[in-house]
Amino acid sequence: MAEDLNWAIGGEAGDGIDSTGKIFAQALSRAGRHVFTSKDFASRIRGGYTAYKIRTSVDRVQSVVDRLDILVALTQRTIDENLDELHEGSAIIYDGERSWEAEIPDEMTAVDVPLKSLAEDAGGAIMRNVVALGAACKITGFDVEYLDEALEKRFGGKGSKIVENNKEAARLGQEYVEEHYDLEHLGYNVDVTDNDYVLLNGNEAIGMGAIAAGCRFYAGYPITPATSIMEYLTGRIEDYGGHVVQAEDELSAINMALGAARSGARSMTATSGAGIDLMTETFGLVATSETPLVITDVQRSGPSTGMPTKQEQGDLNMALYGGHGEVPRFMITPTSIDECFWKTIEAFNLAEKYQTPVFLVSDLAMSVTEQTFEPETFDMDAVEIDRGKLVDEDEVDEWLDSQGRFRAHAVTEDGVSPRAIPGTTDGAHMSTGLEHDELGRRTEEEDERVQQVDKRYRKVETAQNDEDWDYREFGDEDADNLVISWGSNEGALVEALEYLEEDGIDVRVISVPYIFPRPDLTEEIEAADDTIVVECNATGQFADVIEHDVLTRVKRINKYTGVRFKADELAAQITERLSEEVPA
Amino acid sequence: MSSDVRFTDFKSDKQPTWCPGCGDFGTMNGMMKALAETGNDPDNTFVVAGIGCSGKIGTYMHSYALHGVHGRALPVGTGVKMARPDLEVMVAGGDGDGYSIGAGHFVHAVRRNVDMSYVVMDNRIYGLTKGQASPTSRSDFETSTTPEGPKQPPVNPLALALASGASFIAQSFSSDALRHQEIIQEAIEHDGFGFVNVFSPCVTFNDVDTYDYFRDNLVDLQEEDHDPNDYEAAKKVILDSEKEYQGVMYQNEDSVPYHEQHGVTEDMSEIPDGAPDDAMDLVREFY
Ligand SMILES: Cc1ncc(C[n+]2csc(CCOP(=O)(O)OP(=O)(O)O)c2C)c(N)n1
Ligand code: SF4
Repeated sequence: MAEDLNWAIGGEAGDGIDSTGKIFAQALSRAGRHVFTSKDFASRIRGGYTAYKIRTSVDRVQSVVDRLDILVALTQRTIDENLDELHEGSAIIYDGERSWEAEIPDEMTAVDVPLKSLAEDAGGAIMRNVVALGAACKITGFDVEYLDEALEKRFGGKGSKIVENNKEAARLGQEYVEEHYDLEHLGYNVDVTDNDYVLLNGNEAIGMGAIAAGCRFYAGYPITPATSIMEYLTGRIEDYGGHVVQAEDELSAINMALGAARSGARSMTATSGAGIDLMTETFGLVATSETPLVITDVQRSGPSTGMPTKQEQGDLNMALYGGHGEVPRFMITPTSIDECFWKTIEAFNLAEKYQTPVFLVSDLAMSVTEQTFEPETFDMDAVEIDRGKLVDEDEVDEWLDSQGRFRAHAVTEDGVSPRAIPGTTDGAHMSTGLEHDELGRRTEEEDERVQQVDKRYRKVETAQNDEDWDYREFGDEDADNLVISWGSNEGALVEALEYLEEDGIDVRVISVPYIFPRPDLTEEIEAADDTIVVECNATGQFADVIEHDVLTRVKRINKYTGVRFKADELAAQITERLSEEVPA
Repeated sequence: MSSDVRFTDFKSDKQPTWCPGCGDFGTMNGMMKALAETGNDPDNTFVVAGIGCSGKIGTYMHSYALHGVHGRALPVGTGVKMARPDLEVMVAGGDGDGYSIGAGHFVHAVRRNVDMSYVVMDNRIYGLTKGQASPTSRSDFETSTTPEGPKQPPVNPLALALASGASFIAQSFSSDALRHQEIIQEAIEHDGFGFVNVFSPCVTFNDVDTYDYFRDNLVDLQEEDHDPNDYEAAKKVILDSEKEYQGVMYQNEDSVPYHEQHGVTEDMSEIPDGAPDDAMDLVREFY
């Protein structure tokens, strides 16, 4: 198992927890160490416990574990909240000069550093977190020079004085620990390599994927945890001739995106929870007007306003079935941060090839988690763009009826009609959410109705046959035990395999990035003695879908505490579930 | 854009199913004539329609068009114009569509000042759902859902637009063909959001706000020496509860449309075959 180090900083919202954590994560990443971050935050801006956790190793890390080695605690609550993850060898950095008296269990190493005073010596109390970073460097033996680089990146824009002060703050923290503690016995390993990784989260990967895929228009309404996609695109998409609109609500957002898509732009909207509900009416319009549109749902804990800052995978049914009437659609679910990038590109291609809504469904855990990757993971040369049956002036002729009218909803063998964007001579046509004929004109004729419904579902069938709806696989291909999951659980599962292997349990993991269409898992499930479906929801929405496909009962592991799965926890649950009878 | 475009080129071959005499016929004719007169053709025009009798207009016209869901036509039009500043965008719908279910979008479309025109066929009733009260119905207007009248004052859409910072506010009467067309033309030519509330009588469900009523009561601002660039004068006619006016109430000559303010001037429908040339810069940002 990777020799990893688990570090965290925690305090009250507004204490600068996030940016401090990010600086340390970037320093580690620049030092060629892999990083995986996670965040605990409450749904408020000031006050309320919040923490930024970093797991780091020279090997790839892609999950959180139940273990904390170094904790920078700005409040007592930070210690209390993390007691079960702290262990005998843990070190807790705190500021004894502050008004609270830290209650730290005896077996742990308490490192009292006057964070505020030292920060003031360096130029300002605001840098107390940076003093703590310096202290952490000393305790772990991590070269403070790497921290300098990250500080330059973070504060470079604010002038060299600020950068120098911060560097000084880090030095003072380091020196203080050096002088007052003999901590060599902690012996953490923070080897560095000469790799230069990139560090990004799932929402940034989605935004980057959208730009790579040629997305030009984005409309959204702020909602946690989808907002950072909009924030990423704002200020970047303009460089590529695009534009972001903050709409007045989600109804407007999806309709704006639809309008832009209708006029030929690659277009996207993203939201979460309640926002998806508001957009539901328009799903059908997107599908019947056969408009290519990417609708991203970054799931959070529901129902209603639920727990807005907590993890859940509760929207599968919504994305798969939501909307009145029957709405043909695709549903794609990235299973890791790098896949957030690639699946976004795929979503845009599928939307245009099949002229239908594509739901790109991610989740909170993936959206706020940062992970390191080799830059080539996001190889832009490998990006392919397929605009489908977009017809130009010359090709329009083939699709005119005897009276010269463009058959925008022509009934074709593959179910996909030609698409003329505004400005195309002779391509003018109208589309409507009403049932319509080939020309887009309203109809209630039985034959035409059936033809259009069949046509719309035929393109899904075509896609089902023509595209690769594969899954990702890990572990032992021949194992009798099969674990299936979707979304962000993949990383924890992959690492859980290592724990299971130690216990002599062989498991095959299948991680599914496509919910509709999806790979047929009948053979895989039949070949296994035991199948467990793992997901972050209470009812097992994906397990239901699988049972429906294979007509056999599967076992389920459901977590709906609002916290993502951890690798060690998952291994234990799998072991336990394997010994149980399959429900009748 | 070809100069030999006739207004009939904007007509589809679908026969309208509006009741004979419905005000929407006149509204539509004026829209088609205004589009042709301002040098547009069906291939560069995008019409977005709402839901209601009025919303059917997209079906009877010929151009690129989308007939959306109830109340959401303005956001669709906004998306179209942002992606394609080269297109002439016209949004049309009813008073229920625009001032009830779509009221929120109306306010925000007005303040965004996107360069498109918005034509509301105001019949002061819900036509398509067969005669319920609309937001512009008189407070004592008896309908199936308001047997004693809505007992709430009607929305004043012109005032709503003014309060939202509109750059062009007008009102017309669908049966006053020439004036109606002129006013729509001015809305099209306005640099920004051109809002026109059109009295478009429902002959089936509204026996109060009839052709005769408007003919007898409508005051034309052209005859009143009204200066649409004068904000105070505009406020006065818009808030005048004694009279109903037609004409351009307000126009901000300094109006800068959304796309100019935000630099959204590129045709977004053209994208390269692969990722942009400098896309690796996006990755490097995360070092
Ligand atoms: C979400 C939704 N709610 C209700 C309806 C039913 N509906 C169709 S048209 C309409 C009212 C139309 O009134 P108005 O906009 O004034 O247009 P008119 O028919 O009078 O031209 C309603 C309520 C609908 N189509 N969608
Ligand atoms: S019901 Fe009224 S609004 Fe609808 S078509 Fe008939 S006259 Fe026109």
